[in-house]
Amino acid sequence: MKQKTIKHAILSLCILLSGFLFAQNSVNGTITDEEGVPLPGATIVVLETNDGSTTDFDGNYSISAAEGQTLEISFVGYETQQITVGSNAVYSISLVAGNALDEIVVSALGIKRDEKTLTYASQTVKSENLTQARDMNFANSLSGRAAGVEIRKSSSGSGGSTRIVLRGSKSLRGDSQPLIVIDGIPMVNNRNSQPDVWSGNDTGDGLSQINPDDIESITILKGANAAVLYGSQGANGVVMITTKSGEEGVTKVSVNSGVTFESVIKTPELQYDYGALNGDKNSWSTTKGNYDSGYVEDFFQTGANYINSISVSGGNNKTKAYFSYYNSTSDGVIPTFKYQKNNVSFKQSTKLLDDKMTITSNIILADEKTHNRPGAGYYLNPLVALYTFPRERNWNNFNTNYQTFDTATNMYKQNIYANYHFLSNPNWVLNKQPKDDRIKRAISSLNIKYEFSEKLSFQARASYDYSNKTYEQQHAASSNPTNTGDNGRWDYRRLNDELFYTDGILSFNDNLTDDLSLTLVAGASLQHHVYGEGVSVTSGNDGKLFYANEFNFQNLPTNVQVRSALGSKVEKQAVFGNAVIGFKDYLFLDVSGRNDWASTLVGTGNDSYFYPSYGLSAIVSEMISLPQIISFAKIRGSLASVGNEVPFNRINPQNTVTAAGGVNRNTQKPFTDLEPELIETTEFGIDLRFMNNKIGLDLAVYNIKSTNQFLSLSAPSGSGYTTYFVNAGEIVNKGIELSLSGNIIEKGNLSWTSVLNFTKNTNEVVSIHPDLTGLGDGGGDGVQSRFVPGGSIGDLYVRKHKRDTQGRIIIDKNGAPLSTDHELAGNAEPDFSIGWSNNFSLGDKLTAGFIINGKFGGEVYSHTETMLNGFGVSKRSGEARDAGSVSVNAVDENGSAVSSVDPVKWYTALGDRNGIGEPYVYSRTNIRLTQLSIGYNFDVSSLGIPIEGANLSLIGNNLLYSAEAPFDPEVAMSTGRNAQGIDNFTTPSTRTIGMNLRLTF
Amino acid sequence: MKKNIFYILLIGLITLYSCTDDFAELNTNPNQITTESLKQNFNHVGAYFPSMLKAISGNQVMHNLNNDSWVRHYATPTPFVGGINNTTYYPRWIHQYWNRIYGSIMAPGRQVIQIAEEGGYDMFVQWTKLIQILAASRLSAYHGPIIYSNYGTQGDVMYDTEAELYTTWFSELDKVVSTFSSDTSYSGFKDFDASYGGSIPHWIKMANSLRLRLAMRISKVNPTLAKTEGEKAINDPGGLITTNAENLMLSLYGDPFHEVTIGFSWNDTRMSASMESILGGYDDPRAPKYWSPVADASLVADHPTFPYKGIRNGAYLASKALHLPYSNISEDFKSASDRKLVDAAEVHFALAEASLRGWSTPLTAHAHYEEGVKQSFAYWGAGGVDAYLANNSGTPLNYDDVVETGDVNDFVSRISATVAWDETGTNEEKLEKIMTQKWIAAYTNSIEAWVDHRRTGYPKLPYNYQNDSNSDFGVVPGDEFMKRMVFPVGEKTNNASGYSDAVSKLGGPDEINTRLYWDTGGSNF
Repeated sequence: MKQKTIKHAILSLCILLSGFLFAQNSVNGTITDEEGVPLPGATIVVLETNDGSTTDFDGNYSISAAEGQTLEISFVGYETQQITVGSNAVYSISLVAGNALDEIVVSALGIKRDEKTLTYASQTVKSENLTQARDMNFANSLSGRAAGVEIRKSSSGSGGSTRIVLRGSKSLRGDSQPLIVIDGIPMVNNRNSQPDVWSGNDTGDGLSQINPDDIESITILKGANAAVLYGSQGANGVVMITTKSGEEGVTKVSVNSGVTFESVIKTPELQYDYGALNGDKNSWSTTKGNYDSGYVEDFFQTGANYINSISVSGGNNKTKAYFSYYNSTSDGVIPTFKYQKNNVSFKQSTKLLDDKMTITSNIILADEKTHNRPGAGYYLNPLVALYTFPRERNWNNFNTNYQTFDTATNMYKQNIYANYHFLSNPNWVLNKQPKDDRIKRAISSLNIKYEFSEKLSFQARASYDYSNKTYEQQHAASSNPTNTGDNGRWDYRRLNDELFYTDGILSFNDNLTDDLSLTLVAGASLQHHVYGEGVSVTSGNDGKLFYANEFNFQNLPTNVQVRSALGSKVEKQAVFGNAVIGFKDYLFLDVSGRNDWASTLVGTGNDSYFYPSYGLSAIVSEMISLPQIISFAKIRGSLASVGNEVPFNRINPQNTVTAAGGVNRNTQKPFTDLEPELIETTEFGIDLRFMNNKIGLDLAVYNIKSTNQFLSLSAPSGSGYTTYFVNAGEIVNKGIELSLSGNIIEKGNLSWTSVLNFTKNTNEVVSIHPDLTGLGDGGGDGVQSRFVPGGSIGDLYVRKHKRDTQGRIIIDKNGAPLSTDHELAGNAEPDFSIGWSNNFSLGDKLTAGFIINGKFGGEVYSHTETMLNGFGVSKRSGEARDAGSVSVNAVDENGSAVSSVDPVKWYTALGDRNGIGEPYVYSRTNIRLTQLSIGYNFDVSSLGIPIEGANLSLIGNNLLYSAEAPFDPEVAMSTGRNAQGIDNFTTPSTRTIGMNLRLTF
Repeated sequence: MKKNIFYILLIGLITLYSCTDDFAELNTNPNQITTESLKQNFNHVGAYFPSMLKAISGNQVMHNLNNDSWVRHYATPTPFVGGINNTTYYPRWIHQYWNRIYGSIMAPGRQVIQIAEEGGYDMFVQWTKLIQILAASRLSAYHGPIIYSNYGTQGDVMYDTEAELYTTWFSELDKVVSTFSSDTSYSGFKDFDASYGGSIPHWIKMANSLRLRLAMRISKVNPTLAKTEGEKAINDPGGLITTNAENLMLSLYGDPFHEVTIGFSWNDTRMSASMESILGGYDDPRAPKYWSPVADASLVADHPTFPYKGIRNGAYLASKALHLPYSNISEDFKSASDRKLVDAAEVHFALAEASLRGWSTPLTAHAHYEEGVKQSFAYWGAGGVDAYLANNSGTPLNYDDVVETGDVNDFVSRISATVAWDETGTNEEKLEKIMTQKWIAAYTNSIEAWVDHRRTGYPKLPYNYQNDSNSDFGVVPGDEFMKRMVFPVGEKTNNASGYSDAVSKLGGPDEINTRLYWDTGGSNF
């Protein structure tokens, strides 16, 4: 069975190897499934000639065949059929659903493999499931689509980054995000910066620059096993993107035009009854007034996202080509925000040398422009003054007249009611401190494949991924002086990311005996990257620009450094090999090995390191007789280890030139015996199919141990150094992934397919370093992320109420509650997650789909809520003032019971940067309707216009959710590793509703 | 054909993969500067000095909210961390200055010394030592025992007792002065020295003045050694810093004066109530050089001719906005390009005290006292020094915090001393005048004033209104002052046995109310 499939695959790849041998007739027809639904993409091969074709969108095919020749029709997931061509010209065939596991999947390095030989878990998401939502950041649409995949989207809106973690965080240092691979070749997916509790904004990632309509499918290789062929970058799993190609014989034009509208789901609960005293910034009056309200909701706008794309593809028996153009614009929910993206892709492949050689080239161009990406944190964030504006003041006046003319300086100045580092006029920040990002990117790749024979082939590939990224913010004079100098401030970075990748792979497969098959892959690869190279300058608050509001290099004072920037420069070379030995087509042994040479470990003696992986899979259903209800059963198991190199320039860093013209000496302790980090994975899985493959169940359990963590620690003060590095620590991730899929209804023209994914991962920081009791990892003031032995990555520490032995809150002599130091309050990761996706179709006209995601357990913390308390604007602080006191079960320091506390004292203590955050730790548990879509295929064939198909769909994203937290726990302030589960004035979560029209010609 | 292609590809690949020779170069950052490259123009020994000198003076959470507040020079209008913070005797910022001194002076200084020793540049070795003594003695004024002699050793590192520190520093200063004195025309510092332009004679004066400062610190706890070392400084042929032209001025290298940023940009610092009380009571002509007048005359209704208003240190602050109209620092600082670290006024006041203590001094206590005031006036560009020195009636004002209700933050001045010297007064009375003037003159460089205040009790500054000290870091009695800063928390974990050794060498609990070595609590004479 397997050999046949491989044969077919090879045949499909080498369509039309031979010329016309004898008289041909044109044969055509339609290939459908048992229900008569057309099967696009089915392969038809004339066995005698090896001539082949594939069906179009409507299942139609056309091929030249002579009478008496045999057509073999195959389609993934269906039994292959053969028919003999007779005198008729039309042969319409309905295929019978077959062994769904004879699927060819894309595995590491883009090598196609029969799924049943895989000894580790992988899951594929088809493009229609990714793009039907028309999410501006398509990676967000992966949420719930595969087990073991945790997705958190950035709060920064269109063009924002996505946090993807497969099987838990594995590193105390890195961000544990998987490698992104396009058509077998790694791509750059750098997140340049992320906001923290203080300030900053997301700057997107590499994924956001891809045209989602170019994607054919995404396969997720979850474990390190899958990644051994990519080396260390794949240690956190691999997300493999396969892009669309042209198809032979059919010229297809597809046009998509969509619009979605984005709106804020909810804003924090605020009071508008009590203003400030004496012109203060905090609204702590206890006298009710009649003040403006509703302006917070009004501040957010309904954003419109437009996505238009066109693709043209086609080919003949020698050359196939695919071209696409994609354009999206978005104006988000925060005024002035603007995101524009243009993509052009061109992919073509040509067969040469009697079709033995295939040359494929692919060019992807992207231009991404973002204006005023929303940030988070205290500083220069319009939401801070928006939420906390003293209630007795006139909002409209403040908001409209964000600048006033200052005759003393003859320029406009910011209108702000308090000189306070967190407060800026929202409109001033948006209009007079504009942020502009621009990313221009080109990914080009070339793939040459030569088939020596059916058994032996060689492939060489090279890819160059280049992006030029500019980030600029121009802060006008009189912007908040905490961040800005007298004449304004200029932040400017122009950075290039380059990745050159090349590999060569020799593949061999053969049947050694009737029972024994062998597939061998051996290769070598080289990758060389230079990230973050360019120029960077920030004039900060100490640099007084020569002339106000002029932002260029000439205008910089002497104490501002223009820096030559370099993020990292790394070269890795590797040789690798993989062998799969099959016995009787039901038992497969998979052995891989890789040796890396990493430039970052040079001089340690550890710059060359080897790591192996082993796996075994058994198709039990073909070995023994199982009850009839079980149509297929496979068990698999594997062991793998992956080494990870250390960051750039850590072995022997040098000194830096300072703005003062002096030199800062490097005071890092030399570390010449650094070792690579090690990630070891053990995985077992079962794949079962029931009732003639109508229902499938895939279960995986794994244990991932990360050791030799590379950590930078503060050196003891007396050591003579300031920092030193160690290899230490152990992190263990254990988990279960379950994917249940089924064709629940297949009756007449109604079908309902459903996939339920379940993920449970537990993470333990087993140890860090003997000298450390814990390690901070982001947050600030009232909340911290910390690694503590015995804890987990994502542990949140907040200040709690000080309590007596009976658990009563202790009140100090002034009547305010006492606070503890930071104590463990929860963990940002869920206990388990469920994703349930469903697709319906009624005839060939109506389709519908929805996905429901649930996260259960875990905690998140709203620092926004404590800040709102501190400013006296939280709704609860107003209600407490209405009531005149806060009822508490407390004691004073002498142990006497206290039952009520002054609202101002209470919420001041539960407020501001260092307030008691305990009450604002919420369960992460939430259930949401992530996506809902309804599509209708118009019958355009009868209209006599050159349109083949027209589909209109209504789509909704993030429509409803239920959660205890006052903010959306699935929206991340930072998509990096640290400060997870913390909200501090992030843009509220949004829902989008819209429609998309797809026309095919 | 196919074989050829195969071989071509194979050869290509072998070429690509066979070379890891350039890994070392790849793993270096070309924007960094190597020690090898720094050898050009002798930058490998010299180029670090600007950074090292710049690091001596710290930032807001190292000085402005610490010693500048405890010694009542500046006060903050901002109720940081709910109003409970270092200024109200509840430490929030503990390790910052420590980390700066070790990270930016001790650690790189150690490398500079090593490089200079290897290259035979003894002048640079001694110059580094001098800067390290200056920096470490400032740090010890916070914590007491610190890591010094054992600095740069592996494993847990033991602290020096304060007695050992002073002995070590004195002997190191011997070496500095003798080395410098043997080659006074040496020009090697020129390119790296924004303070004295590489003038060795000036650095000798600075070294002698530093010795005098340190000797005066231990004048009560070890009078014999203090006198020996003090007189050594006084009698050294290289001399002391006695005129402002000889002051050790720290270049700002184009950065703004940090208090300008704190005061004008962040609005986090204002004049202290003590400055208002003392400058106002003495009708001090330096006031407009130090502070900006208030715009609202109602704030200074109790002294309309002295339009400056300060905030009490350790005040109760209902909100930040309330005290912002009080006097900011003087606008003059916006054009400042340097900061004094050791100056003539300080030296003269130290000599005046030395004279009282029976050390042989160039002039009388009276003469040094008046010269100190004159040097300070000259430094700040204030006129009317003769009339000021003759004022024998003005005494510091009582303080009324007009924006707070009732008696909140108010105090009655404890100072009865006047400016004019009274030769008939007791040593104690003379010392009070000297220390009060030394305190005024020390503005913008207050660490030594904080040492002097703890050591002598002068000037008689107001206590904290808001005292949030508790058992977490030790309790400061209501009629006493912050006595030290606790050791950095990181030392307890990173250097556990060193820390417990340090506590034993401190001679009391690691708390803010534990007196340092030279703070005997006993009488001044």
